[in-house]
Amino acid sequence: MAVTEKNTDRGLLSTSIWAVGVRQIVYMALGAALYGGLSWVTNVIQLPSAGNVSLRPAIVIPLFFGAVFGPWVGLFSGGIGNLLGDYVSGYGVFWNWDVGNALLGFIAGLAMLRTWGRYTSTRNIIIAEIFAAVGIIVGIGFSSYTEIWLSKLTFVSATIGYFLPAAGSDLINGLILLPILLIAYNAARARLGRG
Amino acid sequence: MLINFPYIQRDTPIHRLDPRAKFLLLLGYGFAAAQTSNIWIILAGLIGAIWYYSQAHLKWVETKRVWIFITILNLMIIISNYFLSGGAVVKGVDMGPQHILFSLPFIGFKPTSPYIGPAPLIFSVESITFMLTQAMRNFSIAFLAIAIPYTTDPSHIGAAFKGMGLSDKFAYAIDLAFRFLPTVSRDFSTTLDAQRARGFEIDKLRGGIFGKIARLAPMVVPVVIGSVVGAEDIISAMELRCFGVGKRTWLVELRTTRRDRILITLSIAGFLLITAWNIAGNYYHSGLLHALQTQGIPNFLLP
Repeated sequence: MAVTEKNTDRGLLSTSIWAVGVRQIVYMALGAALYGGLSWVTNVIQLPSAGNVSLRPAIVIPLFFGAVFGPWVGLFSGGIGNLLGDYVSGYGVFWNWDVGNALLGFIAGLAMLRTWGRYTSTRNIIIAEIFAAVGIIVGIGFSSYTEIWLSKLTFVSATIGYFLPAAGSDLINGLILLPILLIAYNAARARLGRG
Repeated sequence: MLINFPYIQRDTPIHRLDPRAKFLLLLGYGFAAAQTSNIWIILAGLIGAIWYYSQAHLKWVETKRVWIFITILNLMIIISNYFLSGGAVVKGVDMGPQHILFSLPFIGFKPTSPYIGPAPLIFSVESITFMLTQAMRNFSIAFLAIAIPYTTDPSHIGAAFKGMGLSDKFAYAIDLAFRFLPTVSRDFSTTLDAQRARGFEIDKLRGGIFGKIARLAPMVVPVVIGSVVGAEDIISAMELRCFGVGKRTWLVELRTTRRDRILITLSIAGFLLITAWNIAGNYYHSGLLHALQTQGIPNFLLP
């Protein structure tokens, strides 16, 4: 049987946050496409930025998909979404950044262990924010510091050149937009009678 | 604003290669190049990568934007690394005292408080060679990486990952992501136009950084939530067709040719050879077996 969901006292949820059924596959693909697509769109329309922090709102996609649909969906949305964004832009394939973004989505998805994908309370939204912040630091940290080995950078250069601008920008973008998306998602679920 | 994949349909040796061979070449070369800072080995890799790229027959006008971006990014990284490290050569390279050509007064990081202070910026034969090696390594990887999106049909990517051992479910999700992409970018475009018609000026967002990001919500939220809600229909349709119950077949079936198998074998063998050479270099402290641990600077260049 392909269906992996059932009505529980926690609502319409997967039987396990680790399950990969039809629902997860579709959301993995959708998350990756949204991440790649939004990265491409925001590159094309040249969003204004302040200081060194570029406006890269797309980072919220793997965080949101991870937090709502589980760690595997977050992992896939981040990794394949980043690959897709680079692919469409013609930049090629840079595996360490794909893996870093996958880690970011995966760790954000671990919030489901505490929240079960329900973000109807402030407490659960804060939990999602904490996991998202940890995910960004670990994921971007992985990508940045593997450059020490791959591009022979020094630790200071990898920190100042990659980690601080990328993680700083992603933290600001992700942590502002994630609660907005979670609240909007709750409202949409309630409107459709799934709340 | 319609999304276009950069793939350019041509009949060249690189276009005809199996995507798996291209990915393995990139990974094999990247991992091998990361193990050495010997200028001659990296130079050989760069020449090989340029030859490979030239076989794709990509025109400058087709890849200009990407090359400008990659060149600026690489130069910024290399130059900033030089300045931030005070011209130091990365650890792991076996070298004696540096042959200093000149040094400039500069600032550098210190191990004790206040952690930053005056320090000379050294320009030595070794540090300049190291900077050149770094640039060549990054560009050689870029030659292999940039060729992939321009020479690989996006509809082959899912099948390629399946062929590299990924499960049917994940490989299909990759295939589906490539199919969703044009729809998603069209939705972004429609939403952006609709919001602009309501007076939303994305090019002139007001406020500080936090305000600007919060004001992006009218563009991001409708597309994401609309897509998530709309995906329910796709899920229902796939479940009704019993997706995932049996073994999946693929419309595109990749078959390796002799040339693909040679390239895959060379990629794996090259990586293993460099790794073995690198390990051997830790036991032999001079001669050819120790070459990967040196910069390979010829004696006539040393003052």
